[in-house]
Amino acid sequence: MKAIRVLLLLIAPATIRAQTVDDGMLLPRRALGAGVVYSHERWSEYWEGTLQRINGNIGTVSTQSVTWVAGYGVTDRLSVMAVVPYVWTHASQGPLHGMRGVQDVTLAAKYRVLATPLTARGTLRAFVVGAAGIPASNYVPDFLPLSIGLASRRFSGRFTLNFQAHQGWFLNGSAAYTWRSNVTLDRPSYYTNGQLYLTNEVAMPDVVDYTVSAGFQRGRLCIPFSFSRQRTLGGGDIRRQDMPFVSNRMDFGKADVLVMYRGIRLGTSHIVSGRNVGQATAVTGGFFHTFHF
Amino acid sequence: MLSSRRPFLLTVAVVAALSGSSCDNSITSSEILPPLQAASVDSGAGSWRMIVLSGPTQFTVAAPAAETSAAYATELAAIKTAQAHLTAAQRRTIEYWSAGGVLRWNEIVRGLVARFSLPPAPRPDGTYPVPDPENPFADPQFPFANPPYAARAYSYVSVAQFEALKAAWYWKFQYNRRSPAQVDPGVTALRPMSDLPAYPSEDAALSGVAVEMLKVLFPAAVEEITLRAAEQRNAALWSGKAAASDIAAGLALGKSVAAAFVARAGADGMRNAGGTPALWQALKDSAVARGEIPWISQESPPRPPMLPNFGLLQTWLMTPTEVVAERPAAPPSTSSSQMQDEVAEVRRTVDHLTRTQLAIAYKWNDGAGTYTPPGHWNDIAAEHIRDARMSEVRAARTYALLNMAMHDAAVGCWGIKFLYFNPRPGQLDPGIKTVIGLPNFPAYPSGHSTFSAAAAEVLAYVFPAAASDFDGMKEEASISRLYGGIHYRSDIERGKEHGARIAGYAVRFAQADGAN
Repeated sequence: MKAIRVLLLLIAPATIRAQTVDDGMLLPRRALGAGVVYSHERWSEYWEGTLQRINGNIGTVSTQSVTWVAGYGVTDRLSVMAVVPYVWTHASQGPLHGMRGVQDVTLAAKYRVLATPLTARGTLRAFVVGAAGIPASNYVPDFLPLSIGLASRRFSGRFTLNFQAHQGWFLNGSAAYTWRSNVTLDRPSYYTNGQLYLTNEVAMPDVVDYTVSAGFQRGRLCIPFSFSRQRTLGGGDIRRQDMPFVSNRMDFGKADVLVMYRGIRLGTSHIVSGRNVGQATAVTGGFFHTFHF
Repeated sequence: MLSSRRPFLLTVAVVAALSGSSCDNSITSSEILPPLQAASVDSGAGSWRMIVLSGPTQFTVAAPAAETSAAYATELAAIKTAQAHLTAAQRRTIEYWSAGGVLRWNEIVRGLVARFSLPPAPRPDGTYPVPDPENPFADPQFPFANPPYAARAYSYVSVAQFEALKAAWYWKFQYNRRSPAQVDPGVTALRPMSDLPAYPSEDAALSGVAVEMLKVLFPAAVEEITLRAAEQRNAALWSGKAAASDIAAGLALGKSVAAAFVARAGADGMRNAGGTPALWQALKDSAVARGEIPWISQESPPRPPMLPNFGLLQTWLMTPTEVVAERPAAPPSTSSSQMQDEVAEVRRTVDHLTRTQLAIAYKWNDGAGTYTPPGHWNDIAAEHIRDARMSEVRAARTYALLNMAMHDAAVGCWGIKFLYFNPRPGQLDPGIKTVIGLPNFPAYPSGHSTFSAAAAEVLAYVFPAAASDFDGMKEEASISRLYGGIHYRSDIERGKEHGARIAGYAVRFAQADGAN
């Protein structure tokens, strides 16, 4: 259930100074950026459907990841990005084994469709982003909350609007729609959303998300605060005392703050509301270096 | 401009290809089954040996009105009227049920088991409420359809349907009334017809058994069950297969037969299978007195063991003496070097699983929230019954044999589990973590292995051409518990042997029941 959260985290903290998929920045032409981000996320309370609870059979679930990220400025208006995380999970109590492995490769292309001065105060920019994710290993999606991902292939289309004021503050709004492919399980049947399915194939509902952020940027310092929401467009709730399921309706609202300075980035986020997800608090730290050609 | 756009489009094309999702993501939930055209009508089934009933005439079915009577003519006219106004939904209902009522009801029961196979959530004070058949809609819902409960439920529905159909077959060939589509050319046959007499209707008998039996086993699903049963009878009528009087007689017969099984279920020992706190303590004390480490619940908060008295339940084909006689020997002592070796093997295995082993662990997990291991074997049997184009009564026999063996296996296995009260691997070595849910009852012997061996033996008897497939599945299902980190090898080996011995009772019954 936190798998989706992991995916978003992986995309969001991808880089400094250009090219998270939902921010208002791009890499300069012929610049190559690469870096590594570590993330540690943990929760002990989760939402079983809409019921918030703890569970002594898992205790605190932690998910850690080391993510390799890279971006390249194809032109001044177009950047491409790649993200590959290695993820490992752990439950502090109970009998369940953690899992580990390379999760999903995400490739994205970000294109600036608009950059225009707006009043004398700043610049308005708009971006479109296409991103695709595909599992990079044959991991098990059917052991939530300890699976490292959902094993669905994804394609998302995103639109981002950004206003950067000359004094340094900025506003950012971003929304995306994600299509998800069916997932294949190792078992021949499953029960979800009030029905027994006599197949190993699971239909994955699509997902929408949006993020609003505001912050300050001067020189090589950038501090964005953001709030994001994810809504899954279908899927069943976790039943009372059941395990989560890969196609559950996973919704959440998340508050996020980042500090980026030169190549260093530090951040923390907290889930403030949710359904079929853990109430996770995450910290991330990473470094990123840009090479100019 | 061009140079900047091309890589963008290229990237989009690449990511689209990578994501590669098909346009149609829809999943069909129920089994796609062809309309049943039975290989044989099994006209002799009325004399096949009964299991619970005294014989096919225990419940009398009165003679029907003649095919030439005015009353019957009115019934035919009603069918023609219904057929003239069939909606698309009604046609889908006909198509669904034409696959065979035995297969469809088995599928429905699997769905009910999956829906109800969740343990109660703990109360804030750390205790667990007990599902209450008198208050089935509350939290916790009733029942908790765990594997023993499920084995029993599948067996009651299967055996009651089998007995009702044998009785129906008997009366069918007493009266030899044809189906409406055969009597009246104005009635269209909307599903394959056979030479099986229509009175009393086997579809209605199956629906009557299912409703009465499932109301007891899954009372919170009564509305859905009642609707499905009515659908099945309507499908028989609309399709020109049965007239109203065929259906009324079949329904009455089915309900009468079910009543005998409902009475049996009320007195088979299930009521007391959960035991009491005093019993739970006595089981622990007994293991300690034998010098063994007793099983302790690894759940948090600790949960009472699952159905410690299930081993005392009434069996279908074994006497209580035979249940005891077939038991395997004691497990290795918890202090023996053999046990140490077996614990070490579990740890070594679960910490170095290949992806193939993981897949096997998940394939056969059949844990909470699923149709359980007995349901998995019913699922496996379904495709063989379909491919063999078994008549309804022969399909019912297959499921009855399979599910009697698995119920008796559950009783036998649970008796041993609570006789020895043996700890799970993770209790003896807390470093052992599992890749599937840890069952909340003692380890020895493995329930999966017992169920699977019993099922594979019975299915190999009924479908000998597929015997080696069943054997392979049994081996895989059994070893999956070692891969999962929840069973020692001796749990698995002794479980398989025990399950096969118990299945012998069902096979010997089948060899002599007159159906061959």
